[in-house]
This record gives sequence, C-alpha cells and structure tokens, in this order.
Amino acid sequence: MNVNLRQRMVQNWRSDFFSPRGFLARALVISAFFLAVHLAGLRDYTSVLNGTVGSASAGWKTSAFFGLAYLLAYLAFVLLVPVLILAAGILTVWHRRPHQD
Amino acid sequence: MNQTLENPMKRAKRILAAMAALIVAAAMWLPCVHLFFARPASAFYVKEGLSLKARALAARHMQLWTDPQLRQKELDRMRVSNAEWDFMGRSYLVWALANMGLREPSSKPACLQTMDRIIDETQQLEQQKGIYFFLMPYAKERPYVVQPARSLFLDGEIALMLASRCVLEKKPEYEAALTGRVNLIVTGLRRSPHLALESYPDECWTFDHVVALAAIRMADYLDGRDHAVLSRDWVAMARSKLVHPVSGLLVSSFTIDGSPVIGPEGSSLWMVAHCLQLLDPGFARDQYDRARRQLGGSTLGFSYAREWPESWKGTADIDSGPIIPFLDISAGSSGMAFIGASAFGDAPFLAALNATIDFAGFPARKKDALKYCASNQVGDAALLYAATLGPIWDKVKEGWKP
Repeated sequence: MNVNLRQRMVQNWRSDFFSPRGFLARALVISAFFLAVHLAGLRDYTSVLNGTVGSASAGWKTSAFFGLAYLLAYLAFVLLVPVLILAAGILTVWHRRPHQD
Repeated sequence: MNQTLENPMKRAKRILAAMAALIVAAAMWLPCVHLFFARPASAFYVKEGLSLKARALAARHMQLWTDPQLRQKELDRMRVSNAEWDFMGRSYLVWALANMGLREPSSKPACLQTMDRIIDETQQLEQQKGIYFFLMPYAKERPYVVQPARSLFLDGEIALMLASRCVLEKKPEYEAALTGRVNLIVTGLRRSPHLALESYPDECWTFDHVVALAAIRMADYLDGRDHAVLSRDWVAMARSKLVHPVSGLLVSSFTIDGSPVIGPEGSSLWMVAHCLQLLDPGFARDQYDRARRQLGGSTLGFSYAREWPESWKGTADIDSGPIIPFLDISAGSSGMAFIGASAFGDAPFLAALNATIDFAGFPARKKDALKYCASNQVGDAALLYAATLGPIWDKVKEGWKP
C-alpha cells in the first residue's frame, strides 16, 4: 500500500470519532471488514441461524464463530455504514451553516 | 481558566451534534432499508407458470440430485443436527416437483425423473436401515406404545410423496406402495381409541397427522376409495382435544391418548393449516388467520414469524431454530410461514416475508441456481414448495380424474 495513503488512513482513523471524517473512516473500515469476510466465504456459515453447521468438518464452534462474524459484519455494512455516511453528510452541512454569533 | 472551561463545552457541543446527526441519519435510513429488498409477491409466487425465484431454487435442487458429491456434502451438514431434515428435504422437494410438473408441462419429464430417484432411494433407505435412520436418536430411548413400531412421520410423508407423484402421472408400482401405506395408516388410526398414531414413542404430531390425512385424500382421488368419514372424525377429534384453549391454535404434539404435550408452534402450524385445506377448508382458514394474527410480525417493512403465540411459551428446539431475542423471530416458523402465505393467497405477508429472506437469508446465486446460505436444503425445499404449491391440491379438490 502506498505510504501516503496508509498514513492518511491512520490519520483519518485517529481523527475524532464525532466528526464527519471519523464517521467516514469507520464506514470504510466496516466495509473493508465485510468485504474480507465475504471473500473468505463465511456467508455459507450463516446456516447456523437455522441450526445447521456451515460444513460438517468444521464442527459447531467454528461454524458458530464464522457465522456470527459474518452476520455482524453484514448487519454493520447494511445498517451502520449508510447511517455513518449519511451522518457525516448531515454533520458537514451543519458545520458549514452560517454562524449566528 | 476560560480556555479549559470552553474546550470541554465545545467538545460536548460537537459530540451532541454528532449524536444528533447519527440519530437523524438512522431515522432516515432504517425505514428505507426494506425498499432495497421489496418485490411484489409475484416475484415469489405466481398462480400460473413458475416465478423466477421458484425456477432458481429448483435449479439448485436439480443440481443437488445430479451431483452426488454436492448432495452428500449438503446431507452431511444437515445430518449433524437432525436426520429428520434429510428426510423432509426429500419430501418437500418431491411435493414441489409434482406441482412444478403440473405448472409447466415441459418440465414434467425432468420432474418425474428426479421424483422417482428420490422416492426409490428414500424407500430403499427406510427398508435397509429401518425407521430410525430418518429419526432423531431419542426415538430409540424407549419402545413405541403400539407394536410393531411405525412412525407416522415417515408413513405420512412417504405416502404424500407417492400420491403427489401419481397425481402428476400414474405409476402402478407407486400406486401399490401408496395403497399399502394408506391401509397401514387407516388401520392404525381406526384401531387407536383417540385416532392418534406415534411418530416417536408416545409422541404424536399434528403435522404428521394432517400430512397423512392429505395423502389419504389424494389416494382416494387416485383409486376411488372414500375415507372422508375418517378425515371428518379426525378433524372433530382435533377440534375437541387438540386446540389450545387460549390461542385457538392447534397444538403441535400430543400423546397416544390424545393429551396435548407441546402447544402451538409456528414451525408446524403453517403447514398444518395448508394440509387442512384438503380436509376442512373452513377450519384451515381459521387456523391460518389465527396464526397470522398471533405469530406473524412486521418491523420496518420486513415480515417474520414467531414460534409461539403470546399465550404459550415453549423452548427453542431443533424445529424452531435459534430464536432471535426481543422480536422472538424463529427461522423455522418464518420459513414455514411462506407455505401459509402462499396457500392462503396472503400477498402482503408473502411480499414482506420475501423481502426478509432476501435481506437476512443470505441468498447466493450461481448461474441460474439460488440457495439461501442462512437456510439449508430442507429449508430451501420448503421454500420451493411454497413457491409452487397449489396445482396438486386444486386437482384433488376439484376431483378431476386424469
């Protein structure tokens, strides 16, 4: 990874959580995590939701761990990421409003 | 001093503004999520022909029955939890294929071929390995009250498989096997003082009884016999003994002497209501409407089903699947609710259930085939049945003879 890009990402991550940049950084990290678990094929392990192991060889504990990890990453990606992006937008508009004082 | 006082206040203001932004964003986004998954009910179920989803689910099942390795992998996964699922996955698929064959005559040869393969293998396994092969291990913990031991779970579903096959196209070998099963069930029920047959030792299931009675009704349609009195007697017994007094819903299980054990459960009620359509349409409608009111739920445009009504609290088991806290969502009941919603033409509920499964069922498409990762083969086969049901029941109800 480009050093500048990495530095910028670290800088963004360290920025205040309660800022547009902080929200966007978290949205990006969640998206990257979801992409990683998706590409790793953990979607198949969500069968634990109906009481079926993800694969007969993996067993219950591994299946439950992978399945829940995927579920949480998915819910965060679908529910939280858009909220964070929208909130970043709202906050930016709020900060740019003309000051009353 | 002023500086140090000012900074925390400024920070607090910033945090408050950020929290408010998050709340406003959540209020904007969450009610919209379902719109990304919303499709009309016809995306899942159509009156004639096949919906795209039915076609895609069927393609996946056809793959399973033509690729032995893939199928074994799927069966191994299910049998770790429940041997019954191996069996029920076969049943739902055969019932679905029978409806598909009627809906789309060009698919009939392929449907018949797969149905025959499933039926032959299932009967062979039952014969070679005995009834316990498809039952959960606790079936061996005590003897069946009625000897020789038989499970209505197996007899009823195999009879319905054979009957569905023969309604699609008669096959003398299967008609004889069907008559044999039906005779066993009828004799057993008539011998029982409470019209009850065991699926497990001293454990009788409403689900298994209505499936068996539906199979008998279909066998009557095929061979011209008449067991209407038996059906009427059983429904009368169920109305008087098996209805949970508070909810008005049929209980799930009872002992051989007709005493309820497990109260109403969504994982079986939706299918029970569907089978009752062949036996007593008025009672079927009543059960569906009650189940819809007491088990159906909806949040932010997504529908689901609970396993138990407010008036009955059971414990999560292999049928209900894990229960999602707070909303009490049951994967088992929600999956089976598709059958109820399709059977009773409840388009709004069906559309919202369909949105839920596309949101939280983790669909995976490969070419034209579709599976739901959060489900399993039996779950997907039940969905396929829900997407195709109708023609077989209609044919039997109308009494039209091929």
